[in-house]
Amino acid sequence: MVSQTSAKFEESLKERPKKRPDKNRKLSWLLLAPVLAFFALLNVLPTLWMLGLSFYDYTLTSYKAPTFTGLTNYSDFVKNEQLSASVSRTFIFLILAVIAQTLLGILIGVFFWKNDKMPGRRLALTLFFTPMVVTPIATALFWKLMLDPTFGVVNYMLTSLGFSRTDFLTSSTLAFPTLIVVDTWMWTPFMALMTLAALGSVPKAELEAAAIDRLPIWRQITSVIWPHAKFILMLGILLRSIDAFKTMDLTYIMTNGGPGDTTELIALSLYRFAFKSFKLGYSSAVSVFLLFIAIALTAIYLYILNAKKKAEQTE
Amino acid sequence: MESPLFDIKLNNLTKKFDSFTAVNNINFTIPKSSVTVLLGPSGCGKTTLMRMIAGLEKPTSGSIFFEEHEVTRVSTRRRNLGMVFQYPVIYRGTSVKRNLELPLLSEGLEKQVINDRVHKVAELLGISDSLNKLVEELDNGTRQKIAVGRAIAREPNIILFDEPITNIDINSKLELKRSLKELFGRLSQTIVYVTHDQTEAMTLADQIALMQDGVITQCAPPSEIYSKPGNQFAGWFLGNPGMNFIDKKHLTKTDSTVGAPTLFSQTLRVGARARDVAVLGIRAESVSVSTKEVSGAKPARVLRKSLGIGGQYLLDLDYAGLVIKVRVSHAMGREVSDKVWTTVDSDNISLFDENGVVV
Repeated sequence: MVSQTSAKFEESLKERPKKRPDKNRKLSWLLLAPVLAFFALLNVLPTLWMLGLSFYDYTLTSYKAPTFTGLTNYSDFVKNEQLSASVSRTFIFLILAVIAQTLLGILIGVFFWKNDKMPGRRLALTLFFTPMVVTPIATALFWKLMLDPTFGVVNYMLTSLGFSRTDFLTSSTLAFPTLIVVDTWMWTPFMALMTLAALGSVPKAELEAAAIDRLPIWRQITSVIWPHAKFILMLGILLRSIDAFKTMDLTYIMTNGGPGDTTELIALSLYRFAFKSFKLGYSSAVSVFLLFIAIALTAIYLYILNAKKKAEQTE
Repeated sequence: MESPLFDIKLNNLTKKFDSFTAVNNINFTIPKSSVTVLLGPSGCGKTTLMRMIAGLEKPTSGSIFFEEHEVTRVSTRRRNLGMVFQYPVIYRGTSVKRNLELPLLSEGLEKQVINDRVHKVAELLGISDSLNKLVEELDNGTRQKIAVGRAIAREPNIILFDEPITNIDINSKLELKRSLKELFGRLSQTIVYVTHDQTEAMTLADQIALMQDGVITQCAPPSEIYSKPGNQFAGWFLGNPGMNFIDKKHLTKTDSTVGAPTLFSQTLRVGARARDVAVLGIRAESVSVSTKEVSGAKPARVLRKSLGIGGQYLLDLDYAGLVIKVRVSHAMGREVSDKVWTTVDSDNISLFDENGVVV
């Protein structure tokens, strides 16, 4: 009797949900449709168009119809020493800027985390995060003004302290480091925010247990803080890397790639090819290269997210 | 395991969170080398009290002494305690062995000593087979055992347990409780254990400190606190079901006797205490039940009959409007239909005054 009833019950369970998925599936596609259309129209299609264009010789100002040239654009790009220099300069910029921002961000994040009952903490945090929310173009403009050799406040301070006037943005040795400093000024708050979030993800009980167990500070970091904080911190570093790789506004406004090409980053080069020389075929090839780098970085990003999910599942 | 044995003395200890007083002027000594269970409902201040002993919470006022050393302002790491938290705390990405070793490594002990202690503790807790496993692979019960192991491996003077069984799945719960009982028998340290579960308290405690609204209302060994509750709260909180209370309007009093004619015919000789009695407390098992009329016994209507833990029956008996809960044997419970006759074991009756304090 019992087995019969349970068999019937199981059958009824099998039967019931059959109709639902079809209905649900249709509805879910319907709901997804606007987003998918939007994504296809504004993302997939232009990307495919760009990919196609990268195999053509096509310059808007030449009045010539696009001609298929195969991989010529790519081989030109590889052979172009200026562009290769620009790519390696971008990587140097990325590495130095992200390292500086991460280290400073961690220091500041830890400071705010440790002093969570400090009076005026909220105000200090709000002020500290201001650079991050200012439009990069505005940041670039006012830093350009501040660094101006004639009437900039920085040079005013330097001269009042007895130093000689320095033109930071036109000096071939100082322009690049100055850009890194400004980028660091702008984005350190972001890394500090990520550090705060990362430290906030460490369970209080584990920190208390570490104090009870009398673990030395470095062991607390390696055994308690890092296992929890690493995901958010690494995501922060990665997001910052992707962003630093695309840096364009700072260099465009502050130095316009100069002096010479000492601050010419790849995004600026791309801008020149596409919107100054209108070499659409060639700039598409460069874009495809950049796209691959962005995909590689995103793959790492997704890998970390996935690792975090797995770690959470084992909890 | 040898370590210096410490009494924990709490002097006028108070903790306020804004306007809420979690711990209210507690004066109490936790005796060395014993298991003291802080028992009470949620929000009674037991965890806050323990966290102050651990140094994880600063008292608003008052002081804490470990033996004669004042530790009120001493940091957690310098108090030399072990503590097991409500959620199993493990150090991730490492093996069980490494987890047990970590607190020992900072003590500057020799490798051999560390190794011996780790194995001894693992054996004590029955986790020797898991020593090389990654902690993430283990269930919550075993993780909590690791946390217990870490707390005892360092051989601290005092070990604190903050509801360590509460968040463990039901299967591991019993086993962990059994392990702890066995472990407490072997340890000589001062142990403080916080719980809201009376069964846990009854099983593990040498003495139970019952807390209510930030105050310790009674402290006594488990059997005593159960049979001689110091106040109505203790009578109600301990026992399943809690004590039955018969209030003034059902009582008859003389200068030296108290009776509850609605419930039973006998009068209790209580001497001068009779004057102060306002409430009478009867445990569910202190009432004898018969299905046949007994001379001198009171008849009651059976309102409800339910099967309790261990096969005993719980009866709700109605004595002309006064309802009390009674526990009877399985055989008697089956026999009971709609009417019973009861007598009360007068030795097991508690008397309380107007304020609910035992007289």
